[in-house]
Amino acid sequence: MKSRFLFPHWFRYLGLALFLIHIPIVMFKKEMGFNMHDEPVSDHLFNSHHIFFMTTTLLMAIGLFFIAFAKERIEDEQIFKLRLDSLQWAIYVNYILLVVSLILSKDTEHILFLNLLVPLVFFIVRFRWKIFQNNRLINKEEGQA
Amino acid sequence: MKNNIRVERAIKNITQAELAELIGVSRQTINTIESNRYVPSTVLALKIARVFGKPVEDIFSLDNED
Repeated sequence: MKSRFLFPHWFRYLGLALFLIHIPIVMFKKEMGFNMHDEPVSDHLFNSHHIFFMTTTLLMAIGLFFIAFAKERIEDEQIFKLRLDSLQWAIYVNYILLVVSLILSKDTEHILFLNLLVPLVFFIVRFRWKIFQNNRLINKEEGQA
Repeated sequence: MKNNIRVERAIKNITQAELAELIGVSRQTINTIESNRYVPSTVLALKIARVFGKPVEDIFSLDNED
């Protein structure tokens, strides 16, 4: 089956690497001299804080994007349907959270961040979970046979 | 939609994995079709029927709910 708009399979590992790289960088931002809340932030667009935030966020978002939209080893129509179902779920969850957080919070920066993360993370988790379930059923059948 | 792929496989004596390879899908896909969790596209149904050398209607049939 021809699948459009998907990355090659190995992009999944590239994405995972990018995502894992971003975690220690964010964890040790204080040690690296990027404490965003203590110092006055300058209005200049490309100040060091902005660049730090941009780089880590892009690392994370691109990493998740690659994980989410890399081809499976065998990309067939059943996987395609799972993908589509999971995307629909992800959009639902994202908008429900978005609406709730808009009502309950004024912290637009974090709402934006949440909006960036939730669809991809939820999609990946739901998609992987469904694949895991399919594999488990196969193993169970094999156990019976 | 109901199907008797499992029976046909037994007659032809091939495994899910072998059938999957013959029609170019994953083994999971054959498993989900056999357990009625996934309804295959017409193209896939025709391919499966071709493997067993039978018309599609002999393998797939409508359910009461359809």
